Amino acid sequence: MKLIKAFKHALNMVRHSKLRSWLTIIGIVIGVASVVSIMSIGAGLEQDITSRLSGMGADLSTITPGFSKASGFSHRMPSGGGSAGGATATDEEVVLDRTDVQVLKSIPEILLINTEIKGSAEVYYLGKRGAVTLTGVDQKVWAQITTLEIRDGRILGPADQNVIVIGGRLADDYFEKPLGINKMITIEGGSFRVVGILDDRSTNIYMPIQMAYQVLDDKETDIYDSIIIKIKDEGEVDYVTEKVEQKLMMTRHVTEKDKDFTISSSKQMEEMRSEMVSSLTTFLTAIAAVALLVGAVGIANTMFTSVLEKTKEIGIMKALGARNKDILAIFLLNAFLIGLIGGIIGVILGYLLSGILPALMGGGGITGRVASAGSLVTIESVLLSLSVAVGIGTLSGAVPAYQASKLKPVDALRYE
Amino acid sequence: MGRTLIELTDLWKIYQMGEVEFAALKGVNLEIDKGEFVAVIGPSGSGKSTMMNLIGCLDLPSRGVIRLDTEDISKLGESDLAQIRGKKIGFIFQQFNLIPTLSVLENVMLPLEFQEVATSVAQQRGLYLLEMVGLNDRVHHLPSQLSGGERQRVAIARSLAVDPDIILADEPTGNLDSKTGKYILDFLNGLHTNEGKTIIIVTHDLNLVKYAEKVVHIKDGEIEKVEYT
Repeated sequence: MKLIKAFKHALNMVRHSKLRSWLTIIGIVIGVASVVSIMSIGAGLEQDITSRLSGMGADLSTITPGFSKASGFSHRMPSGGGSAGGATATDEEVVLDRTDVQVLKSIPEILLINTEIKGSAEVYYLGKRGAVTLTGVDQKVWAQITTLEIRDGRILGPADQNVIVIGGRLADDYFEKPLGINKMITIEGGSFRVVGILDDRSTNIYMPIQMAYQVLDDKETDIYDSIIIKIKDEGEVDYVTEKVEQKLMMTRHVTEKDKDFTISSSKQMEEMRSEMVSSLTTFLTAIAAVALLVGAVGIANTMFTSVLEKTKEIGIMKALGARNKDILAIFLLNAFLIGLIGGIIGVILGYLLSGILPALMGGGGITGRVASAGSLVTIESVLLSLSVAVGIGTLSGAVPAYQASKLKPVDALRYE
Repeated sequence: MGRTLIELTDLWKIYQMGEVEFAALKGVNLEIDKGEFVAVIGPSGSGKSTMMNLIGCLDLPSRGVIRLDTEDISKLGESDLAQIRGKKIGFIFQQFNLIPTLSVLENVMLPLEFQEVATSVAQQRGLYLLEMVGLNDRVHHLPSQLSGGERQRVAIARSLAVDPDIILADEPTGNLDSKTGKYILDFLNGLHTNEGKTIIIVTHDLNLVKYAEKVVHIKDGEIEKVEYT
């Protein structure tokens, strides 16, 4: 029998056992759609991180007081159960101050230095109160060093005093009415004018650091919560970070063992996030793959039932001159078709899902990241899941098809 | 009459039923000439269906030799047997055995597809045969839309698709009323006289005997007698 004829008969089988075929196809659709959408969202996240790495921010390093064993948060578990993050190594409070800034200024590879303090502040606008995070920034360099994007208005400039830049959510729906540009808002009793709104979903407030010292009572002037440096040459981040570390250790009279500050580059952090995302994606893909596997078992089940149901027809076909390989071809192609149809629908559904899902996810954390990153349907993921669907379909149809082909014509004909 | 087309020599078919062996055929010897109309008659369980399966290359004998056109087929593999079935033998069954999901025409074309005949040729042949059995207005119907007699006519058309030498009919009228049954038998008889087909009918219906030139009586796996009419 010619392959095209075998294909026709396989298609005929799919058409005439509609419900069962479709149920099987749905199994494959679910598997493929979840693999495609998860892989696409994962790819979107990774692309997002890569673009952030290559764009603004890769040349930034952040210095914070306190130290917990190694740098960064990949080894953030201090031995002996001490507190994480800003844990101090000595009883005396460890701070970053002007001396540290002076040290940093002496390093020629550093282009800009931004000092920041951060705290919680009470805000009041049109009868509603709330507590939000307030960040004091060095407005002389902030515009050049920040990775935040402005949606409306402008960023803080060197001459600014009683003005603030606010997060998108604080502007849009935190208060009864939107808080627009040039509106006045009360922060800890002082009045401030909004000059810029960030293109994000935060409730953060940014103001000149000198004003922030006045607003945040517990902050001492010239003591910083963090120092952010911008390095001239992006390629030298690791080298400069190392150099800064050495210099600060020298001036602060500490060694590797009792280091009392942490320096982390955004490159490091993004790389870490990238790692997290890729392991998360791998994990989710593995779960999706299980769904695909269940779909494959469904195909095998359908095929076994189909062979049983068509035993008599197999006998008839054999009596009419069908060879074993003809029967094998028809049943294999049937399984192939179910896999292919399921695969194609699955890819389309996965494509749609990967477009819709990020939009449905809001808020912060990883879901927010997904929302902002969007998805990226790669040719690889489409081809991979299609070939897996077809391969798995054909493979799981192989045993039943082989059984069908081996049926003795006389037995098959007698089957009722 | 003609030369020998089918030759059964000391043919045994033994079924293993658990511990017990059951011999459905016990050393059958039979010759069927080309162009003969043969009826194999016997009660159920006599071994006549087993014999038909062996002649039709649907099964292999436990012992003995089957020669078809002087070729020993008793040791052939399934693939070769399928070839012989597909080229030389047309089957007609009591249950009609049409493929329910294929149209009348597609059913008739099916044996030609297994022989890899071009679709246009197969279609022409199918239409010709369906006209011959008087079903040219039914070609696109499904078997389920036809009466029993019509289905059997489709089966006859299908059995003739590859223009085989031998037509093997297993109780072809068993599921039909006598009028339709007569039509079918007359048709088969016409094939025998006009086209010189070798026709072998397996039945327990003695009414069919009058069409046959040679009647083989089979009982308990052995040939009781062979009558010529």
